[in-house]
Amino acid sequence: MPDGTTTSTISATGLLPQELEVAQLIVSALSLEVAPEEIEPEAPLFHDGLGLDSIDALELALAISKAYEVKLRSDDERNHRIFASLRSLTAHIEKHRAR
Amino acid sequence: MPPEQDLPLTSRGGAEVICHRPAGPVTIRRFLGEAAALARRLPASGHAVNLCADRYRMLLGFAAALLRGHPTLLNADPSPHRLQALAAAYPGTYLLADTPIATALPLVPVGEEQAVDGLGEPPRIPAGRVVAIAFTSGSTGQPTAHPKPWGALVAAALAAAERFGLRPEDGPPSSVLATVPPQHMYGFETTIMLPLQAALACHAGEAFFPSDVLDALDALPPRRLLVTTPLHLRALLAEGRRPAPLSAVISATAPLAMSMAEAVERDWGVPMLEIYGASEAGSMASRRTAFEPDWLPYRGIRMGQGEVEVPGLGAVPLADATEPAPGGRFRLLGRRADLVKLGGRRASLAELNRLLAEVEGVEDGVFVAPEDIERNPAARLSAYVVAPGRSAEEILSALRLRLEPVFLPRPLVLVPALPRNGLGKLTQAALAELRMAAAGP
Repeated sequence: MPDGTTTSTISATGLLPQELEVAQLIVSALSLEVAPEEIEPEAPLFHDGLGLDSIDALELALAISKAYEVKLRSDDERNHRIFASLRSLTAHIEKHRAR
Repeated sequence: MPPEQDLPLTSRGGAEVICHRPAGPVTIRRFLGEAAALARRLPASGHAVNLCADRYRMLLGFAAALLRGHPTLLNADPSPHRLQALAAAYPGTYLLADTPIATALPLVPVGEEQAVDGLGEPPRIPAGRVVAIAFTSGSTGQPTAHPKPWGALVAAALAAAERFGLRPEDGPPSSVLATVPPQHMYGFETTIMLPLQAALACHAGEAFFPSDVLDALDALPPRRLLVTTPLHLRALLAEGRRPAPLSAVISATAPLAMSMAEAVERDWGVPMLEIYGASEAGSMASRRTAFEPDWLPYRGIRMGQGEVEVPGLGAVPLADATEPAPGGRFRLLGRRADLVKLGGRRASLAELNRLLAEVEGVEDGVFVAPEDIERNPAARLSAYVVAPGRSAEEILSALRLRLEPVFLPRPLVLVPALPRNGLGKLTQAALAELRMAAAGP
């Protein structure tokens, strides 16, 4: 992750550029009715937050695999840590993505 | 079989493997010892809600409850609302869980059990005793209970073992990886009952994402069986990585598109089988989708008019209309409630969905009847179709060759995916949302 303090925010909810990119991926992969820049970075993606379900998890895993070559796994504590929020999902992708 | 007849918990040898865990294979002998240990910690009487996600722990909990004479309630929903409803309906309801859960109900955590000796021979259970209760959601939102006597579950497991070559005399033991939860009837039959009654061991861990499934298959010994749904299969095929050699792939819960059945046969070089089942009756028949339009009933299953005769259960009403086909098989005509009448012509939505699935390039699709179909003579069906790279016009042209014109969808809406639930089904609520979205603002 780059230093967030020097990166200018470009969305109403304060998304970093990488987060906005992942937000765009989520919205397009799942055909959500929400604008990417409106996703709250710390809000839960599943259930209460964006309201995603296990089908979305499969779709999202596919999209992330294609875009970043990052493979999601259940032993990554899927619904708890990585999918906890847009921010945590982006951090996971940044950490594991193919360079 | 007579209900008073006793049938063993397992007919397998003590040294055989019942489950593959990360720490290594677990033998029947050790499993029986650990189940006996867990049984000692259970309440004196009651009903067990087994929420364990780890299949080995689900097996242990089921066997322990059996040893104490407690039926297992097949429910995967841990919401307090659902658990309270079960507790209100079933006296002495307690929970078996392998992860922490906040609940006011009695909770028996299932972890690493220390095997106790002295069980000797596997216990025998009266065939007529209800050992599990499955639930269907029901159209009213109130779940309907379907009691499962031990004899019916054993008969179904033995029939499935015969059908899929999982009897001891069929060759070396198999291992099964499933993407469906063990609390669902399909997952319960294939990953809890089969390891007890057939030459087969289940994979204990969760396998959900394509990477999980592929890695878990790599780790399993040969004669691997993949038990899954059209939804998971679609993700697996898109992943592009060929799985470890499989002896068969089995799909259920929703109709499998012909294109996917053919892709599995072609790209993975493995038989793609489909099970026809229902929570009420259990698994009833199977077919090899790419080659067989008709279903071959399991041994002992007799298809009737609007009902099916199931060993150990008797006559069970069927939601699907069927008709006899050559060779002792039957053809599925679709869900009875799904019959629609337009312009004086009758069709089943399930049959229309099947025809739609056969159109080249269609990955998934569903016909939806408008709510006013019974009273609006101008009513039309609509269809929601997943077909990357194809236009609505192309699909409509293909449908014109297959359907009575009156059943052609208006509109046919191309969508990126259908709102299927965790079991690959389209609920009435999801279909209603599709209808609303199509109606526009």
